[in-house]
Amino acid sequence: MEIRPILSSLLRNRAGAVLVALQIAITLAIVVNAVYVAQQRLSHIGRPSGLDDQNIFSFWVNVYEKDFDYLGMVNADMALLRQMPGIIDATPMSQMPLSGSGSSTQFYSLPDKKGEKAPANYYLTDDHAVKTLGVKLSAGTTFDPNTIEYKPDPDQSWAPTAVITAALGKSLFKDEPPLGKTFYDDQGHPIRVIGVMEHMQGSWVGWDKLDHVMLTPRINPDATQYAIRTAPGEIDRVMADVEVALRKRDPNRVIATPMKKMSDMKLQSYAGDSLMAVTLSTVTGLVVIFSALGIFGLATFNVNTRTRQIGTRRAVGARKRDIVRYFMTENWLITSLGVAVGCCLALAAGFWLSTEFQLPRLDLYYLIAGVLGLWVVGQMAAWQPSRKAAKVSPAMATRTV
Amino acid sequence: MFGYYMQLALASFRRNPGLTSLMIFAIALGIAVCMITLTSYRAAANNPAGERGEILFSPSLDSWDPENAYDKDDKSLAPNQLTYRDAKALYASEIPDRKIITYKTGDIYTRPDKGMDPHYIGTRMTSRDFFAMFEVPFLHGGPWDAKADEGPEPVIVLSKEENEKAFGGENSVGKTLFWKGREFRVVGVLDHWEPMPKYFDVNNGAFQDMEGAYVPFAWGPILELGSHGNTNCWKTEIIDSFQAFLNSECIWFSAWVELRTADKQQAFKEFMDNYVIDQKKHGRFPRPLNNYLYDVDGWMKRNKVVQDDNKAMLIMAFAFLAVCLVNTVGLLLAKFLNAAPIAGVRRALGASRRDIFWQHLTESGVVALAGGIVGGILGVLGIWALRAWYGRFVEEATRVLPFDEKNFVIVVAIAVCAGLLAGLYPAWRIGRAAPASYLKVQ
Repeated sequence: MEIRPILSSLLRNRAGAVLVALQIAITLAIVVNAVYVAQQRLSHIGRPSGLDDQNIFSFWVNVYEKDFDYLGMVNADMALLRQMPGIIDATPMSQMPLSGSGSSTQFYSLPDKKGEKAPANYYLTDDHAVKTLGVKLSAGTTFDPNTIEYKPDPDQSWAPTAVITAALGKSLFKDEPPLGKTFYDDQGHPIRVIGVMEHMQGSWVGWDKLDHVMLTPRINPDATQYAIRTAPGEIDRVMADVEVALRKRDPNRVIATPMKKMSDMKLQSYAGDSLMAVTLSTVTGLVVIFSALGIFGLATFNVNTRTRQIGTRRAVGARKRDIVRYFMTENWLITSLGVAVGCCLALAAGFWLSTEFQLPRLDLYYLIAGVLGLWVVGQMAAWQPSRKAAKVSPAMATRTV
Repeated sequence: MFGYYMQLALASFRRNPGLTSLMIFAIALGIAVCMITLTSYRAAANNPAGERGEILFSPSLDSWDPENAYDKDDKSLAPNQLTYRDAKALYASEIPDRKIITYKTGDIYTRPDKGMDPHYIGTRMTSRDFFAMFEVPFLHGGPWDAKADEGPEPVIVLSKEENEKAFGGENSVGKTLFWKGREFRVVGVLDHWEPMPKYFDVNNGAFQDMEGAYVPFAWGPILELGSHGNTNCWKTEIIDSFQAFLNSECIWFSAWVELRTADKQQAFKEFMDNYVIDQKKHGRFPRPLNNYLYDVDGWMKRNKVVQDDNKAMLIMAFAFLAVCLVNTVGLLLAKFLNAAPIAGVRRALGASRRDIFWQHLTESGVVALAGGIVGGILGVLGIWALRAWYGRFVEEATRVLPFDEKNFVIVVAIAVCAGLLAGLYPAWRIGRAAPASYLKVQ
């Protein structure tokens, strides 16, 4: 193969080649790390929530008159809401999942803070929560309507029953099925599991125990949110109807508007991740385009400055194929140099990112994919200039520029 | 001479408009990306307190769990809020020139004459010094007096925006709002005030909305107002009343002190340590002595107002700019070498190597300046587009990405410096070329 003459020609005119190689090296370092981080953010955003999060909305209902019958109001409102067209179910909730606001506390598998310990993100709600949130029960049932308490949070004891996620059950009871088991708060009050949810995400998407959720049968006096699940596609119409209907039923309370869709809460919770993913993908796209332009530019320049040389080679018997191969090989050598340096840069950048920003270490598959990708991009960018070189007529050898 | 070089540069652009546009576009894109990330970085790194940030301090005491540090990622940190008892104890100190304790709550307010729809008003519980310490501008009236803090008197200060909602924007000083069955008298109305980041309360969200009302702190325990921000607890305690909650180890208060001299700063730090040592005798503060007195800048760093993502994106943007510049060096080199015969003629007619060098460096500078300006404009467009997109997710999009003409100036300056740097090698190279070889082939 004709690598030696290519190399010696490259070495005689190395500035341009070194620049392109350097560009490829930095590109590889950026692309590999950016794609890796962006991919992690996207998979973070894409995790299933276990909720019917596209068809739920919620809003706070507050009162300001002394001695207002708050529970009476909640019950009357719920009765009204649950028979409205387009509404699948409605429930009072102390907080909303995916919203960024919530409460959590520690529970234990044995009394006196013994046994397995696990944190749970809890929601005060009623027997309609499971259907309203759209979560699937893998075992047990939802609450008995007669067990719903009307007590403030925090309070001395928990309601004696709970519906928990399978993940919380696993943390508390390991491999034993959680249904019917009892767990304890930090003061030893027992709570019995009457229902197990397959999966449900809680309030804080950045929390590593996001799927440790507990529903407790209680309504919080004086301030609660109404969560409403609508038939698919009906959410906007239902939101408008609900506001009118509730105001009409009793104008003497404050219904917080605009009401909030759970889909928007989810977008907001993941806003930082989305911004990061979009920024990194944009920069990745641009940097690849620029590297391709750089390679293209250098190859074109090389061809233009060497028309006489090419003409001479053609005149002494080189085929078009040989000319194309010459330039493609030259480009491949430059790309390879860049890629080699780039691997070191990418690994160094990945290591630095993982220590400085506590990100997971770069996955090497991304590096391999990046190297292959840049080789292909390099060859593609050099293809047109190489074809142009092959069209140089052998007669060029006899002409001056 | 410079004017002549400029003319030559423009002539050179006309010779290769495609290549020149490509270079300008390369620099512009790199600059635009830098400008966008720089904008969000600088918005978060901004210190709205200015010079006063050096004499305003937030104390932090390590009252946390003996078995677990407050922040599991950085175990050296103390909690970023205080318990009620500790906040009151620090507030009792006579050392500071000014002092406040504060937390955020909110509730439904009405107007006795029913002239306003009852609605929720985010309310900051604080004391009189708040307005002077954070240089809060007033439109009507002023802060409540010191007596009102102690009583406490039912007085309230409204933000400009809330005053518009509640009283249609008129001077409402002397009027009343109804809250929790009590009448609160308006003593002051603020002018528009929105320091970003919201540095006196970054632990509840650095870019959150300002509160609509300010009320003397002492009403908190009387009206049993819990926090509408973060509340964190670690201890197993019987909390069966609001009083028990106030006496618990739960943290939900911030304190700020103004300490104008180094002596006072030292004295207050000692006061904090002595307080904790004394409390240890009563069985509190089970962790080792670990107190901090942060100035505004330190407080924002401790609370990571500039997030790791901000930094990572900024670094990524500058790496991208580096690729664009390397690209530009390559293109400049190609362009100059292509035009080498012209330089050869100029050399033959008597131009020195230095002249050729300066001529080409000028050309690089002009390209970079054009790239910087185009990049700045692209950056503004990008910020505008990003705000529209990001605004779908979060209300504070415009605060996270504010327009700031300084950023434009900064990126154009970066572009010119970078462009001159990029032009150094190609200009030197062309200046060094022997004229004769180029003249021969003409």
